Amino acid sequence: MKYLHKLILPLFLLLLWGIGSRAGWFNSYLLPAPSTVWDAALGLLQKGSLFQHLSVSLYRVLAGFLISFAIAFPFGVFMALHKKTYSAFMPLLEFIRHLPPIALIPLLILWLGIGEPPKLTVIILAAFFPIFLNTISGIANCDPKLLEVGKIFAFTAREQFFRIRLPQAVPQILVGMQLGLGYSWRSLIGAELIAASSGIGYMIMDAEQLSRPDIILVGIFSIGLLGCLIDFLFLIISEKILRQNIRKDEVWPE
Amino acid sequence: MAGIKLQHLCKTYYINGKKIQALDGIDLEIPEQHFITIVGKSGCGKTTLLRIVADLEKKSAGTISYPDSFDEKKDISIVFQEPRLMPWLTIKENIVFPLGKANQKTVDSNANKYLHLLGLEGFQDAYPTQISGGMAQRVSLARTLCYGPRFILMDEPLSALDTFTRRKLQQEILKIYFTEKLTILFVTHDVDEAVFLGQKVVVMDQGKIIDEIPVDLPYPRNTHSDAFFRLKEKVLDVLLS
Repeated sequence: MKYLHKLILPLFLLLLWGIGSRAGWFNSYLLPAPSTVWDAALGLLQKGSLFQHLSVSLYRVLAGFLISFAIAFPFGVFMALHKKTYSAFMPLLEFIRHLPPIALIPLLILWLGIGEPPKLTVIILAAFFPIFLNTISGIANCDPKLLEVGKIFAFTAREQFFRIRLPQAVPQILVGMQLGLGYSWRSLIGAELIAASSGIGYMIMDAEQLSRPDIILVGIFSIGLLGCLIDFLFLIISEKILRQNIRKDEVWPE
Repeated sequence: MAGIKLQHLCKTYYINGKKIQALDGIDLEIPEQHFITIVGKSGCGKTTLLRIVADLEKKSAGTISYPDSFDEKKDISIVFQEPRLMPWLTIKENIVFPLGKANQKTVDSNANKYLHLLGLEGFQDAYPTQISGGMAQRVSLARTLCYGPRFILMDEPLSALDTFTRRKLQQEILKIYFTEKLTILFVTHDVDEAVFLGQKVVVMDQGKIIDEIPVDLPYPRNTHSDAFFRLKEKVLDVLLS
């Protein structure tokens, strides 16, 4: 019941789509009826191809995201702790940040071939900057008043980092990860443009070649729904990690 | 009795090329197991003095000498004006925060001791956002005590609290001072608080000590007594002169 109001708008749009299709408001070639899309989805599910494409895409997104995190997080920590190095790297990083990963696809194909590496690289690049920049911001902007607490308790640099800087930066790093995960999904189609023979992006491109807008819509809805589901799972995990995000109205009586 | 000795301590800041003398030749002796309060107007250099003694700021000139067998890192600590608790840790975890890699038995015994001493039992699993300002300041004090210093610097730790909570905590600080045999250097801008707590009130103005007034009243002090009132007036006269 708590989340029911959030379903009102999507259900209204679905209803409008259904009524519009039945009334002939939309060209069925450009926008097939919801029932047609539903039938296409059921057909793909029965064949098992939707699940197969989704699992391939999910693997690419998760693998790309994890590799991106494994590079961006330590790199971000290093840059946050070495401000001079960061300022030396900043112009180059700013330049790369403004390049859409999709624009690099032709070069990536030339350099890495047409297998999995270029696809993963696109996803890695898409997820890199949100994680990297949020890690830098979280670690570098640690509250100096809390750092002084570590100083008066004679903490070593290592203790300062692991007991104050890092825990305080966790919320911001998690925001970066959440954004990175979202960007990974968004770059998926671009990644699967590269001579793919499987994956939800490939399914959409293939449907386009076959003039099957119903399958294209199944692909789009699948990406959206799976993205929402992953985001939801990520939020649950984040809330478990962020114990300090306890509702502020839960005050303990004195 | 040996203690910490400050000799001709100076601190100069330069802000936009303008010289600001925050401390100007401070000479002060803080004997062990004494409770000394420093009182003065805002900007007189009280906090700067404390931060230099705590090694949070560098002095421009002068010397600080410590008693024999004094560990400058372990034997001195500070309670700040704000509690500065780690928001991601529970009250219990905050209290034992300075212990680091101590074994679980030590951690638990220390936590229980200071939760009891500061009246924080029942709050050990709460988070800093869930407790009041007075409670948070008690946790901050418990955390400092858990570190086990002989010498505690207190930088207006009660200034943000209401009168009732403030008086209650003043009494708790005195209780801890006696039970733990501590040396306390307590900074405040409240003359009443300075006379209520200290065995000596050091009056500061414009980076200098302008007077040191001994408070020879027995604890617990009656704030309504004539002697207490006279001492307060004396400190105020020095401050306003």
